[in-house]
Amino acid sequence: MKLDTDNWQLLQDLFHLAEVTPEPDRERVLAQKCADEELCHRALRILNASYVQGAEETPVQESVLASDLTGKIGPYTLIRHLGTGGIGTVYLVERMVGGALQRSALKVLAPHSAGPSFIDRFHREQHILASLDHPNITRMLDAGLTERGQPYLVMEYVDGVHLDAYCDARKLGITERLQLFLRVCDAVAYAHRNLVVHLDLKPSNILVTADGTVKLLDFGTSKLIQADSLLTTTVMATPAYASPEQLRNEPITTSCDIYSLGAILFESLAGARPASKASVAAMIERAIREQEPERLQDAVTGAAAEQRALSESRLKQMLTGDLATIAQKCLRPRPKDRYPSIDALSGDIQRYLGGRPVLARPQTTLYRLGKFVRRNRGVLAATLLVAIALLASLGYAAWRQQQALREGQRALRMQNFMYRLFKLANSNYTGKPAATVPEFLELGVKTLPEYIKDPADLRAAQISLAESMYTNGDLESAQKVFTQTMANAKAAGDVEGETESKAYAGCIAFKLGQIEQGKSLTADALRLSRMPGVSPAVQVRSAICYAYYRDSLWHFTGEDLALLRFAAQMARESNLPPHEKAEAIYYLATDLEVRTQVNEAEPLYYEALRIYSEDPLVLCEESAVYGDLAYLSDVRGEAQESLPIYQRSLDGYKACSGADSRDAISVSAFMSGALIELGRAKEAVPLLEGALPAWRRAQGSGQSIEELPMYLSQAYVEVGRFKEAEAICEQMTASEEGKFDPNSRHVGAMNLVWARALAGQHRYKEALPHAEIAARILTDTAVPAEIPYNNKAREVLLEIQSKLRETGQ
Amino acid sequence: MTEPGEITVLLRDWSAGNPAATEHLFELVYPQLRKIAGALFRGERPENMLQPTSVVNELFLKLITQRSLRFEDREHFYSLSARLMRRVLVDHARSEGRQKRDGGVPIPLHPDLAWIDARPAEMIDLDRILEELEQLDPRKCRMVELRFFLGFTAEETAELLNSSKATVDRELRFVRGWLYDRLHST
Repeated sequence: MKLDTDNWQLLQDLFHLAEVTPEPDRERVLAQKCADEELCHRALRILNASYVQGAEETPVQESVLASDLTGKIGPYTLIRHLGTGGIGTVYLVERMVGGALQRSALKVLAPHSAGPSFIDRFHREQHILASLDHPNITRMLDAGLTERGQPYLVMEYVDGVHLDAYCDARKLGITERLQLFLRVCDAVAYAHRNLVVHLDLKPSNILVTADGTVKLLDFGTSKLIQADSLLTTTVMATPAYASPEQLRNEPITTSCDIYSLGAILFESLAGARPASKASVAAMIERAIREQEPERLQDAVTGAAAEQRALSESRLKQMLTGDLATIAQKCLRPRPKDRYPSIDALSGDIQRYLGGRPVLARPQTTLYRLGKFVRRNRGVLAATLLVAIALLASLGYAAWRQQQALREGQRALRMQNFMYRLFKLANSNYTGKPAATVPEFLELGVKTLPEYIKDPADLRAAQISLAESMYTNGDLESAQKVFTQTMANAKAAGDVEGETESKAYAGCIAFKLGQIEQGKSLTADALRLSRMPGVSPAVQVRSAICYAYYRDSLWHFTGEDLALLRFAAQMARESNLPPHEKAEAIYYLATDLEVRTQVNEAEPLYYEALRIYSEDPLVLCEESAVYGDLAYLSDVRGEAQESLPIYQRSLDGYKACSGADSRDAISVSAFMSGALIELGRAKEAVPLLEGALPAWRRAQGSGQSIEELPMYLSQAYVEVGRFKEAEAICEQMTASEEGKFDPNSRHVGAMNLVWARALAGQHRYKEALPHAEIAARILTDTAVPAEIPYNNKAREVLLEIQSKLRETGQ
Repeated sequence: MTEPGEITVLLRDWSAGNPAATEHLFELVYPQLRKIAGALFRGERPENMLQPTSVVNELFLKLITQRSLRFEDREHFYSLSARLMRRVLVDHARSEGRQKRDGGVPIPLHPDLAWIDARPAEMIDLDRILEELEQLDPRKCRMVELRFFLGFTAEETAELLNSSKATVDRELRFVRGWLYDRLHST
């Protein structure tokens, strides 16, 4: 057409001009630009034509469906169309079985998806498919060919919605989504154990019924259509969820399903599939190029956050870190880099849900560094930050290390060591990769001398690692290292190093119940800390280790309190990192609290909290402060108000040190105390019983938590389980033999519970001596915080005495 | 058999505008594509039909694994495949049109071109108008082939043509209108 050839560019210009001009002005504006009236009209015609949309559905499709719906396929009567997927169309069907109508789902496969031996193969595979008997897997019932020769499969019918639709409709949060996902993992793991891979896992193959049951569809389909399909695995799988090796048409393994589960997890958490904006061609290219998946948090959108009842920034924050690592580990392009099994994947998700470290190994040393820092906060963080000395303001020992590592050369050597350490920790250097923090630190101590030759630097680094072990609760290992650095520092005339090692070793000895050793070590440290040149940090540490642990033995002296006041004040005035300042103030506050000087303690707790808030890695420490604040409000008689504060402390501890940690157990015990006081012993029992197994395990460690059995026996008494209460009192007496002063309040309180447990069983005669002991001790040692106990002890004693009189015993 | 690298060499010649290379390349690649595309038309139900993209991807994979093609040449390859896919679809329309007078099987086209009743008769008309577009503006013709015949997204089409998404969107708005107008004014 001559018109277009000559005026091609002009025609386009007119078109685009018309596009941006409001409709009524178009003709006028175009006429100004071009005198050729016909050309202007043509541009406007093209513009109108460009708005023409395609029809929604072509009539051809409708007629095909309509004709099928009236018919039968084999012995099955079609009821309605359920859906259409990549390789087939699914119908709801029914047939008579033993006089009853049975409903099932029938899937007609695309003709090119299976060859003539399809039915033979079904019969051959049937025993395997029939053996897939799992509550979360739909069963394959039958197979056949339609009159037109198309293969079809019949499956158990499930009335449910797709996994993603289910989660979004209910605005499920991350935890609930992970729990549903774990059930999917269970089902797939079960199939893998039976040597069946799925190969087309995706949200639309996972249904959730109204009662929340997960059902996986299409297990076994891949097995049936694989062998003589005209298609390769590339086309059969749904590209968005297919593993790269499937897209590359390479041999398939169970690892394909792990990849698909990763894609499902990714979408379930972030709301979009990995590489969701790519076309199929681009996805295949990614597969061939072995490109890494995008980061989980980068896929988050505002809409997705809303469907999870979270803000966008909160969702992004939640999807950074462990969850991102878990998803990434499933989605690695090479099968060998993924989780070796679904159980390993489930295990990591369970560890995440339980607040424990996941085992998936992030890819880079720096990433791993960051992860350790986040996970281990405080002191450990400081050690690691030695490696990146520029960020020293963050943590505890970093401040001191800065002094030790003034020269860039030394800092570099240290940095080199840390990098090597992360590499070693990831390798099989010691037979297996270091999976836990203690293993990691142990490895560090072992390999340090190979990297750091200067004895002073070596000592400083060793002390740092030992401090990390101490904070991490690995007291025995820390003790070994401190004993060594103590001797080395002394031989080298390094007073600072010797003092610090001794102070820590003393703290540890106290904590391990080696009281005499603790006393002598801390006395040495305190004396040495007064020598010239010892840094404020070490002076503070020495004072705390001396005074706080002496007071922990319930021998309160004015000297100890004065030392703790001195430590707090020195910490405030010196240029210590926030974490260490707050810690010194916290120790003073707890000491005041146990001396019942509650009014002075409380503002100090708030001061500590304020200083902690300057440091991002102090969840554990903050949880400790909240625990104390809750306890204070509890003993003030505000048990109701104390519950949410206890809860905050407990949640914090669970997140930072784990549900099984000593701290979490202690807070559970105290919180139960508040519940018992409020007459809610029924709620306290499961809380205490839940912590009991972890408590038993902790018993062997030399760090007992006597509060837990104490409160448990009390809770049992309150709910009328007297026999169990009695059993605990007996066990406690046996296991605590010689550990407590027979006149201590602990012994008094226990005898009180014991008396009540026996009286509850009408064994008043046996109860009497326990009630007498309780009343005597608790009255003699009365402190304001414990007054409820004293009154109770008297009440119980009087009651038992009157019962004995009544029964004439 | 195809010599390793032969297609790569030919692709470069083709993109440099060497007509001899074009013929040779078509001879080499078209039969393979046609064979894979066979599956495209075996589906009797439209909902079961393979997408053209999967067909081209299979070919791409084959050529890559045979080392007949190198990654660096992907842009040329996709442009060529889009052209070949158009030919496959038109050839199919011609044979269907001969066999079945009632319209035959619809041709898989991108939803944005769904206003074309994608049955053989109109398909052949569309092909004729695209020939016209090829003469007027070869680049726009490439764009239509990539976007509407192969199903690449606008971003990917832009990347393959060394352009921006905004430009591709803008040009495609025009070209859709122009195609419609030409198809309905003759």
